[in-house]
Amino acid sequence: MNEEHFGFLDEYAKKEVRRATLKAVAIPGYQVPYSSREMPMGRGFGTGGLQLTLALIGRGETLKVIDQGSDDSVNAVNLRSFIEMTCPGIHTTCRTEQADLIQSRHRIPEKPLREDQLLVLQVPYPDALVVVEASEEKRKLLHGEADYSRLLVKLYEDIVKFDEITISHRYPTRINGHFVIDPSPIPRWDVPRLHQSPALILLGAGREKKIYAVPPYTQAVPLAFEDVPFRVENFSDEQGQRRSCVRCGCNSSFLDEYVDSATGEQVYRCSDSDWCNQQLEQRQGVDQAVEVVNG
Amino acid sequence: MLEVAPIWQPHIQQQNYRLLLEAMSRPGSLHSITGLNTSSNSLLAVLAALLDSSVRFCDSNGLLEASDIALLQAMQTVPEEADYLLCSGIDVPDFQPRLGSLVSPEQSATLLVHVSALEAGDLQLGLTGPGIKEKQVCNIQGLDSDWLVKRESWVCGFPLGVDLILLDQQQLMALPRTTRVEVH
Repeated sequence: MNEEHFGFLDEYAKKEVRRATLKAVAIPGYQVPYSSREMPMGRGFGTGGLQLTLALIGRGETLKVIDQGSDDSVNAVNLRSFIEMTCPGIHTTCRTEQADLIQSRHRIPEKPLREDQLLVLQVPYPDALVVVEASEEKRKLLHGEADYSRLLVKLYEDIVKFDEITISHRYPTRINGHFVIDPSPIPRWDVPRLHQSPALILLGAGREKKIYAVPPYTQAVPLAFEDVPFRVENFSDEQGQRRSCVRCGCNSSFLDEYVDSATGEQVYRCSDSDWCNQQLEQRQGVDQAVEVVNG
Repeated sequence: MLEVAPIWQPHIQQQNYRLLLEAMSRPGSLHSITGLNTSSNSLLAVLAALLDSSVRFCDSNGLLEASDIALLQAMQTVPEEADYLLCSGIDVPDFQPRLGSLVSPEQSATLLVHVSALEAGDLQLGLTGPGIKEKQVCNIQGLDSDWLVKRESWVCGFPLGVDLILLDQQQLMALPRTTRVEVH
C-alpha cells in the first residue's frame, strides 16, 4: 500500500479517541482524558477538534470547518485543507445544511442543526473550575461531587462588583444536572443551542488532552441565579432598535462589530458567514422577483 | 493477496464506530452492523471496532472462539477488572464490573450483551434520559430481566456506572448509564 493512511492518525490513535468519545457521551459533560497525539500543527490551533474529526470521518461524508463563524479565516482554511489532504474521498462544503460533520472554533452555526449532523467544537480550556481551583486533582473531585459552590460564589462576586455576570464567552453550563462544562469560547448567544440540541456535540481540547460531550436532547443550563437570570448579548442600539447586518440586513443573527475604515463608523455584520450569504441570496432572490413582477 | 475480512478493515471499523456513537447518543435506537459475512459475527465486528492492545477484555460466557479473541489483541482478564466485557443476555451476571470512581468515572466497564433479538421480544422497555427526546420504547428477546436489576444497582450512583451495548445477530443498541429504564 503506497497511498497515505486515511485520516492521518494511526488506527490505535483513532480507536483511543473513539473509546473516549463513547465514554464522553455516556457521562454527559465529563472530561474524558486521552493521550492527544502530536499533530503537524501547534497545540492550541484546534488539534483537539481535529483529532475528533479525523477519528469520526469516513469516505463520502461532507465536512464544514468554521472559525468564529467564518469558513474563510486562517484556522478554518488550514484545518480544512489538512483534512482534505489526509482523508481522500470526503467532501467539504460551506453550507451548514449540507454538512454531515461540522468542526468549529468558537461558534455554533446560526442555522439549527439536525439529528443527522454532528458538531465538533475546538476547546482551548476545557475546565470551567480552573478559575476557582488551580489543582486538577481537586477539580476532578469537585466535578465528581458536582460541587460548584465556589463557581457560583465567583458569579455572585461579579454581580456585587459589576451588577451583572461579566463572562462574555466560555459561559459555565451544567449538563444533565451534574457536570458543569466550559462550552469552549462560544458567545453567550450560542449557549442556549446546547440545550436539547437535536445534534450530538463533541468537544475536544488537544493541548489539555480532554474530550467531552453534550449528547442530543440533553439538559444544558447556564449557571445563573433565580433573581439574575442568564441573558444573551443585546444587539439593540441607543434607541432600542435591534441592529441588523450591514451586508445582508438580517436582524436576528449574532453580529460582529467593525469600524468602517473610510467613515470611522461602527458597523455590524453577521458572524456566521454562510448564514449571511444565504440571507443575502434570499434577499437578492426576492429583489429579482419583485423586479420581474414590476417589469 | 491476503484477503482481510471486512470487520478488520479500517473503513468498516470507522462505520461501526459511528453506529456505536449514534447508538450511545440516542439510547434505544437500533443500528445495523456493517461488514458482516460468514466468517465474522456481530459480536466480533463491534469488538474489532473498539478493542486493541491497550484495553482489558473478558469474554465472561465464552461466546467467542479463542482464535478470534487473539485477533482482538486485547489483554484478557477477569470480569471484575475488564474495560470491555462480552456477556450473554440469558446468563445473569454474578460479578461486579468496574464502575469507575468519582474522579474518574470513565474507568468503568462497557458491557456488550448478546441477546437473541432486538426488534421484537417479550421484554418491552420504556427509556428516558439524555439522548431521548421524550420516550423511546424498545423490545428485546433473550435478556433476563434480572440483568436490569443488576444494571440499576450499578448505575444508581451517577457518575459511576456501566454502559451497556446490546447486540443481536445483525443490530446493536446502547443503554448508557444515564438512561432510565422502565419495564412495561
